[in-house]
Amino acid sequence: MTNRSNTTHISESYGQRVLRLAFSGWGARLGLAWVLLLIFMAVFAPYLANSMPLLASEHGVLTMPVLRYTTAEDVLMLSAFISALLLWKLKLNFIKKLWIFTLVVISFTLIAQMLLTPPKLIIYDSFRAKANNAEYDWAVLPPIPYSPSDFLRDYGDTSLEAPFAADKADKRVHIMGTDDNGADVASRMIHASRIALGIGFVATGIAMVIGIFIGGQMGYFSGRVDMFGMRLMEIFEAIPVLFLLLTIIAFFGRSIYLMMIIIGITGWSGYARYVRAEFLKLRKQDYVQAAIASGLPLQSILFRHILPNGIAPLLVAISFGVASAILTEATLSFLGLGPVDVPSWGQMLNQAVKSSTFNWWMAAFPGGAIFLTVFAYNLIGEALRDAIDPQLAGRLGVN
Amino acid sequence: MKAETALLSINNLYTHLQTSEKTVKAVDGVSFSLNKGETFCLVGESGSGKSICALSVIQLLPAGISSHPKGEICFNWRTEKQSYKTVNTLELDEDDLRKIRGSRIAMIFQEPMTSLNPVFSIGEQIVEALQLHHPDMSDAEAKKQAIEALTEVQIPQASTRFDNYPHQLSGGQRQRVMIAMALACKPDLLIADEPTTALDVTVQAEILRLMQDLQKRNGMGILFITHDFGVVAQMAHKVGVMQQGKLVETGLSKEVLRNPQHAYTKKLLAAIPENLARLYKTDPAQLAPDNLVEISQLKVWFPIKKGLFRHVVDHVKAVDMVDLNIRKGSIMALVGESGCGKTTLGRAILQLEAVTSGSVKIKGKELVGLTAKELRPLRTQMQIAFQDPQSSLNPRLQIVTTLTEPMAVHGIGENKDDRIERAAQILEQVHLDRDYLWRYPHEFSGGQRQRIGLARALVVNPEFIVCDEITSALDVSVQAEVLQLLLEIRKKKDLTLLFITHNISVVEYLSDETVVMKAGKIIEQGLTADVCGNPQQAYTQKLLEAVPRLVL
Repeated sequence: MTNRSNTTHISESYGQRVLRLAFSGWGARLGLAWVLLLIFMAVFAPYLANSMPLLASEHGVLTMPVLRYTTAEDVLMLSAFISALLLWKLKLNFIKKLWIFTLVVISFTLIAQMLLTPPKLIIYDSFRAKANNAEYDWAVLPPIPYSPSDFLRDYGDTSLEAPFAADKADKRVHIMGTDDNGADVASRMIHASRIALGIGFVATGIAMVIGIFIGGQMGYFSGRVDMFGMRLMEIFEAIPVLFLLLTIIAFFGRSIYLMMIIIGITGWSGYARYVRAEFLKLRKQDYVQAAIASGLPLQSILFRHILPNGIAPLLVAISFGVASAILTEATLSFLGLGPVDVPSWGQMLNQAVKSSTFNWWMAAFPGGAIFLTVFAYNLIGEALRDAIDPQLAGRLGVN
Repeated sequence: MKAETALLSINNLYTHLQTSEKTVKAVDGVSFSLNKGETFCLVGESGSGKSICALSVIQLLPAGISSHPKGEICFNWRTEKQSYKTVNTLELDEDDLRKIRGSRIAMIFQEPMTSLNPVFSIGEQIVEALQLHHPDMSDAEAKKQAIEALTEVQIPQASTRFDNYPHQLSGGQRQRVMIAMALACKPDLLIADEPTTALDVTVQAEILRLMQDLQKRNGMGILFITHDFGVVAQMAHKVGVMQQGKLVETGLSKEVLRNPQHAYTKKLLAAIPENLARLYKTDPAQLAPDNLVEISQLKVWFPIKKGLFRHVVDHVKAVDMVDLNIRKGSIMALVGESGCGKTTLGRAILQLEAVTSGSVKIKGKELVGLTAKELRPLRTQMQIAFQDPQSSLNPRLQIVTTLTEPMAVHGIGENKDDRIERAAQILEQVHLDRDYLWRYPHEFSGGQRQRIGLARALVVNPEFIVCDEITSALDVSVQAEVLQLLLEIRKKKDLTLLFITHNISVVEYLSDETVVMKAGKIIEQGLTADVCGNPQQAYTQKLLEAVPRLVL
């Protein structure tokens, strides 16, 4: 043991090492690429697929219609994205970064909520009318110039057009076709990625916070606390989440936020198990003993000396958790119980099933997206697990 | 067989290991030879390439990352027809290697806990090894030979032990089983990679004696890898000293140890605690009369719970009715074999382990029974430094945080800058750069980490430090530095130390008083010169005899 411990002197932290190992394989890289693409689409959805011009000159005056219709949700997405990018390169510890990130996002969203008043009713046709009437001197349109709930009424009946359908008088191109209502599928796909990402991250985030709190207490104090926690966990594991969600929806109506919360507060038991095991192991580590011997307060011992060292296995659980949360939402939406008004992949699948004829583009794209997203998270999760495993064995003293 | 043919001769061997960034020259032009019935000891500090060299012989290195740009390993292969031919193991194909491995060259490893398969009985594992190399051997014959092999390595009641599983055996017995398994096929060459490093001294002495006996009987050659010069002195006919992949000195064991030629060998030998010059002799009259730590009737019992209602059926008596007084300003050494309760005692003094009953007083203040909150202000008086340099520092925190956090909690230093300055001064006291404050633990070597561990103990200005095997995981030369540093700091700060160790020569070098523990009880205590020079108890005598000495 002596021999090996001194020779392997690696100049990178444990977290960096795990990430490097995990993302050295092509599977995890592809998974990551897909998730990054999703994030990009979710954040910039209004600028990628929208009926309004991004920038236009209206009678010589420069206007940005997209900005006028910016919602608090858009601000949330943008601020999260930008602050994550900025914090990425900063040399701070992870917990601090997380705090700054949360604070920035929450404050920006609140400010946006108070200051922004986007019009409730949006008449998409009017922008095209303006363009047709030459009110714009020039206009920069998004790559997909259709909003997800723009049913293209001004073009007449546009429903169920196949991708790149050629027999059109106007110059519309729908790269993924249109649905029953005549809305552009590609645009709906892009905007739906917000739901998929949001439910994945928020639900898993809630579950993780509860899991860390309860699991940490169980692991550190063990004994009676551990026993009670275990029973509590078993109770929560026995709850059938899907049926609970159906019941809640029946009583309180369909709400994406309620869905996130329910999935979150029923899903923490797995994380609690991981955290408990890590805390049980780490509390006997020398540096934790040294922290106790130095008379440090409990809070510091738990959250500064134990938690950051035990968080790595959670990464694995998180990526699987995100995948399963997305799947749950898709299932509910497919059953027609998902959020109203906002497009989601599951709901689009539901539409495909309900329509009288089989239109492959309405099933293939959202179905493929769900499949790829769940697959991507699973790939990442598995790569992380493989990257963590040998180290775990070494730390447990198996050598 | 020609008489002059060496059993194994390594000529100008190079082994390179390919990592993603660079090539490590693990073995860099090594040549030596080994005859039948001889023991060749490869000795060196960690990372010197001695294990890689041995693994190259038996071709057990992962094929993807290792390569041998130059050199040859000539092994005098006794084929199945009992004729001899010299082969280069680097050029053999897998089939031939498989015939050689196990039956002609056998290997035993350092860690007896993990080198046996836990789901098979030890008998089955030996039988498997036998039948692998003698496919026509009947089950009954194989079992008979396996029991013989177990008897040969002095496992008591070998025929009943045959059906035991590895977890039912002690560490020493497992190592014996490993040896039995290695020797079952009567190999010509045994490669032993630190076979006794994980064992207690008394067990180590038995295993070493056993290996010598077996060698005399079977006439096999042994390639023995170790870092312990005491073991070298006892085992080796010839010795090779390795440093960074190079064999810097080879020769007959006695000559090398008595009259080292190379500077590195000289340095290594000088760093052994027996050879370190003691700074002072303990004068019983000069020891302070008053006690800093007083322990009486201390018990730390761990309950063994069984059954549905988890009622307590028995206790593991880790510390059992211990009375001990540690005098102010003295260094007390606590020695004993693994599992004797010495670490538990050390932790129980600091209340890191729940005390079953008894009393621990520091400067007359009772510690047992205080709550965590009441203990907190007293924590500044007593500190601990740990054995394992890998786990003793929080890998996520910069050194500056590790050092200043306890100061902030205990209100030492006026503000943050002052605390950082104090931390820097303490780092300098343990002979480290003050810039090291801004680094993370993984950037340091084992010895440096141990110093930082000491620095962390020192930041709250304690009077009493428990040093729990702080040098056991270090190479000898680093150990010597840390020990000298410890003595220097103790003198400067007038510290009282409880030095827990299993290494008798460190005890002799360092301590004023010595306490010997066995099975939770104190067997013998007194001035170090008395305990080590003239032990009264049979157990202490056995312990001291078992220490491999560098007798020249």
